[in-house]
Amino acid sequence: MKKNKLLYLALALPLSASAVEMTWSGFGTLGYALSDQPYMYQRFINNQGTFKRDSILGAQLDLKLNPQWGATLQAKLAPAEDSDSQWTPTLSWAFVSWRPLDDWLVRVGKFRLPLMLNTENTDVGATFDLARLPIEVYSIAPTTDVTGVSVSKTWLTERYDWTLEAYTGKAETYSRFYGREIRDTEPSPGSWFLPIDMKSTGLVLTTKGIDNTFRIGIHQGEASRGDPKIHADIPYRQIAPGVGFYDLMASARVDKVNIPVQTLGASVMLPASVRVTAEYARIKVDSSSKGLTRWGAYLALSRRFGDWTPYVYYAKVKSPDATLEQYKAINGNTVPLSFPQASRINASQKFTADVLSPYDQSTVALGTSYRVAANSLIKGEWSHTRTGVVSSFVDAPSGGDSAEQHINVFSLSYNFTF
Amino acid sequence: MRYFLSYLSLFWLINPVLAADELIVVIGHGTLPKADLSTLQRLYTGRVTAINQQTAIPINLPAGDPLRQQFLNVVMGQSEEQYTGYWLVRRYVGKGAPPQELATFEEVVKYVISTPGAVGYVPASKVPPGGNVIFKSVK
Repeated sequence: MKKNKLLYLALALPLSASAVEMTWSGFGTLGYALSDQPYMYQRFINNQGTFKRDSILGAQLDLKLNPQWGATLQAKLAPAEDSDSQWTPTLSWAFVSWRPLDDWLVRVGKFRLPLMLNTENTDVGATFDLARLPIEVYSIAPTTDVTGVSVSKTWLTERYDWTLEAYTGKAETYSRFYGREIRDTEPSPGSWFLPIDMKSTGLVLTTKGIDNTFRIGIHQGEASRGDPKIHADIPYRQIAPGVGFYDLMASARVDKVNIPVQTLGASVMLPASVRVTAEYARIKVDSSSKGLTRWGAYLALSRRFGDWTPYVYYAKVKSPDATLEQYKAINGNTVPLSFPQASRINASQKFTADVLSPYDQSTVALGTSYRVAANSLIKGEWSHTRTGVVSSFVDAPSGGDSAEQHINVFSLSYNFTF
Repeated sequence: MRYFLSYLSLFWLINPVLAADELIVVIGHGTLPKADLSTLQRLYTGRVTAINQQTAIPINLPAGDPLRQQFLNVVMGQSEEQYTGYWLVRRYVGKGAPPQELATFEEVVKYVISTPGAVGYVPASKVPPGGNVIFKSVK
């Protein structure tokens, strides 16, 4: 009996394997970006030009065992999350999908979250027309990939498919900081990356028709870190009447920080084939980096003319006014040199202001995509970014800051799938 | 079955050319039930996996095939570019891969006959005798 069972199993395995439908595909972007400023913007862009901001190469394997069961693997080669100088291969997706009924989909493994309208396909430039998705909005979520479970239910109506997706998962990610004068461990300017353990849970409703898409989501993140634990605040220490400094080292430490995120997006076809896309996101982070608390939004207009799709968008991101005021207070704070260790304290104020990580900038962009083939696009874009009080997307030069900057960025990319 | 396939080969041999304005029909394996237009549209866009609760496996012809273009226009109401673009996004949001493609409609017919749940489209004049037509397009 046991022998028979083993025989059946042995026979069944190759049959199962042969029944698997396996398709693989690849995608990539070769993108060049050049700004008119000597400092780095969005990690990599300066007046020397770079291929690192937008270039990426990836591959995806889709396995279909039957109409109910499938699996997807996606790997990519892109600049590392924890280094400005290295490229690393990453397994971005690895999940099993199960569709017990037509309207239910369960995914288990590593998958991308349904945050903004193009979050799931951000890495595949051939799937959208903008040369670069507005960083003001698309950078807001602390992580886009989690390992966990996602369950979605779809209602099909005549004009729209309504999908409600609930997910929960964990991720190990990094938070990037840039110090103008000193870093966390070195007395020189530069970036550093703090590891963060993220838990994320959310509920997203998406409505999709032939031309129009709407999405609303609520997400609850929880960030934690082992030693050193997360700084909860930035206390002010008075050392003499009217004299003091912001002392990050005296900050309370917490095990975890709750991070609520809300997202809203719509892409609608208007008369005359004009597409309007608008997205909004906001996040709240109660830690010493409370500048990460911010809202971001953009409005884009595009219209297709044959193979060309010109577009224009306006985007803005802003931390609360109180946080921007706090940044100004810390950034401008100095201790008279007559006080002991005054120069060291003064350098620490710039560092502390950088750790606050606030945002206040807007961007206007004008660009076009050109469809070379069904699976490839060439995109060109000029964008003008203006910073307000501060922008943590700018690696501000030593001795200065990122306030009131004007940054022109020219981008050209070839985006393909195969 | 062998006689049936031989008959099919002979049938195609003497009907090698498709009429430009010929009706397109969708055939299904065995006892797959009839499908309406919206069900077929959803099946070929990966939004459903069954016809009246019976598992269905859609089969496509390759991009550029005139019969596929006719199917996309008449049944799906989409151009090749729209359909390919739809699947391009759907694949890269992790919602699955497009239907399997076979090189010719003759291969589609063979596959549909031999594979439970399979669904494919053929010119109306090429429906094999006894074929299970689950949908007929309207001119």
